[in-house]
Amino acid sequence: MRLLLVEDEIDIQSFLRRSLEEAGYEVEAASDGKTAERLAIENPFDILIVDLGLPDQDGITLILKLRQLGVRAPVLILSARRSVDDRVRGLEQGGDDYLTKPFALAELLARLRNLLKRNSPAGNDATRLRVQDLELDLLRREASRGGQVLQLTQQEFVLLEYLCRNAGRVVTRSMILDKVWGMRIQPDTNVVDVHIYRLRGKVDAAGQQPLIRTMRGVGYVLKDR
Amino acid sequence: MSSKTGKPPMRSAAWRISLWATLAFACGTMVVFVFLQSFVAGDIQRRSDVWLSGEIKTLGDVAEHTPKDALYDTVVGEVAELAENEVPNKQLSESGSDDAVFFLQVGSDGALKLWVGAGSGEDHLKAIRASNIPPDRPTDVLVPGFAVPFRVASIRIPDGSQIFLGLSDRDELRVLRSLRLRFLFLWILIVLLGFGIVFFTTRRMLSHVREITEAASRIGHADLDARVPTTRHHDEVSQLALTLNRMLDRIESSMHQLHTITDSLAHDLRSPLTAIRGKLEMSLSTVSDGEHTEPIVAAIEELDRLTDFLNKSLDVAEAKADALRLTRSEIDLDGLLRDMIDLYEPSMSEKGLKVTQHSRGSVKILADAALLHRMVANLLDNELKHLPAGCGLSIELSVDADTASLVLEDDGPGFDSDVLQNLFERRVKGRNSNGHGLGLAFIDAVVRAHGGTVTAANRQAGGARIAIVLPLAAEKLHAAQ
Repeated sequence: MRLLLVEDEIDIQSFLRRSLEEAGYEVEAASDGKTAERLAIENPFDILIVDLGLPDQDGITLILKLRQLGVRAPVLILSARRSVDDRVRGLEQGGDDYLTKPFALAELLARLRNLLKRNSPAGNDATRLRVQDLELDLLRREASRGGQVLQLTQQEFVLLEYLCRNAGRVVTRSMILDKVWGMRIQPDTNVVDVHIYRLRGKVDAAGQQPLIRTMRGVGYVLKDR
Repeated sequence: MSSKTGKPPMRSAAWRISLWATLAFACGTMVVFVFLQSFVAGDIQRRSDVWLSGEIKTLGDVAEHTPKDALYDTVVGEVAELAENEVPNKQLSESGSDDAVFFLQVGSDGALKLWVGAGSGEDHLKAIRASNIPPDRPTDVLVPGFAVPFRVASIRIPDGSQIFLGLSDRDELRVLRSLRLRFLFLWILIVLLGFGIVFFTTRRMLSHVREITEAASRIGHADLDARVPTTRHHDEVSQLALTLNRMLDRIESSMHQLHTITDSLAHDLRSPLTAIRGKLEMSLSTVSDGEHTEPIVAAIEELDRLTDFLNKSLDVAEAKADALRLTRSEIDLDGLLRDMIDLYEPSMSEKGLKVTQHSRGSVKILADAALLHRMVANLLDNELKHLPAGCGLSIELSVDADTASLVLEDDGPGFDSDVLQNLFERRVKGRNSNGHGLGLAFIDAVVRAHGGTVTAANRQAGGARIAIVLPLAAEKLHAAQ
């Protein structure tokens, strides 16, 4: 996957480049809009990360310009601004996504994956999800582990489904809040942890191999092997 | 709500102004009419006096030179003819004969010599004798049997007899009465017309003021770039609009400056935070043993708290200056609360707190969803952090005519009495609180930015009570009307 990273802060650029390369992306970086334009026209990219506050132009202007030049790749917008601009919302509706700084790397990676998945033609419309011996029937909204049906509430099912769809990858608390509850908030309290704790009590019953693992300081991961 | 439809005209300023103007106008025209009427009455009186004086002289001459037998006919003819000329549209008495004019000659012995008029003339003679008429000017004499007095002139002729000529005031009064009626009719017409004109012109003028008011109230936090409408006329109202617009220019520019400052502050702090967080996360992924991960995890958590604090302080700072930027959409507050309680309920019950939600269906408000989520999260975080185990929390959402009110009541220890006074100030927190003291200030900021109010108090029965009032979405208002 070829990725164009447009970010003027050298510190952020370097750690993003490192972690993105670790995650398997082939990264090219630009520190300003002009360079980004040139790179994007010269080489095709699968996905772009664009910071809104560039030294020579506004990130949105750059994205719109690139779109006009025929760049179709999805864009993840990074914003250090406080409020989410209407134009960012517009782009979000057009299939792009945004993330406010500072962010968790896991969330950045998850959003990139989502953007790539959204733009790939083969839609994932399976009616069943399977992770090890955990099975989710998306039509009947029923989960079972090792053939044993789990008594989950509606909310717990949605949470488990989200974890399953991201099996093997770290999901952060704010990702869970965003995707499962539809809120971009940062509670002072451990509300998400309690939900996970309850879910774990049902999924990882005594004597079974624990599936839901806590990654301290980062989030949670549903083990896929 | 538009005052165009909502307010009855009786309560408008235009109504009051026109009422007072009309009152002054009515009094003035009334005074003019009274003067006019008395002038006309005096004029009629003077004219009839002149006529009587002239006529009595003529009749005196006639009586002097005409033999007594012929006198009667001459006088009758003369009187009838002259009375005809003098009193137009004369009203005939019921008997058909003309009783508006009489002629009376009294001999030097005081006996009735000649009588021309209705009746025997005795009553007239008696009344004349009783009222003692001066010879030089006509006087009013009230004759028994007649409702209206007679204007009587007298003259003494050389043969020693005295002649009296009387003209009833009846027709004069009738003329005056009809004049008064016309005046009254005209007066009412003019007053009504005046009221109408004043009312409609002031209302038109004030409608510009109302347009300005409505436009100014629409210019909320979101669209400071809007301006109140100006008119082509260079009157006081358009001056008001221009002044308002200039003031809005200044407010907009200082708001813009404030936003620039907070935005660049946020940007300047967030960029290093992002870099630090990224580096911490990367080192976390390379370090695998628990002993070394612990301080990194703690640092990341501290960093997230710092970010949250930064966001909230900037929001509170902007909201204190009424400059919080909102992206409003229609939100069902009831559904939002339900989702939030869904999220918080497990943590609450884990801590032994009992949450009950009372609601009566969906409550639509126009609000910034992200801010509202954060506000409710703050409220619930507060309860979760400060309520001791075993307490209960009741969340009630109710709707008034045009507001939604959200009331949170708990039976915990309540607020510290020494912070209760300035609970919504920045950095104010209870003694045992480990927060950064921005929670309630942030809640206040969000509520104020949405045009609502928030109050906090300790309940009589013990425990804290926070009441938030928010305006309902306008569509709902129109639908309810």
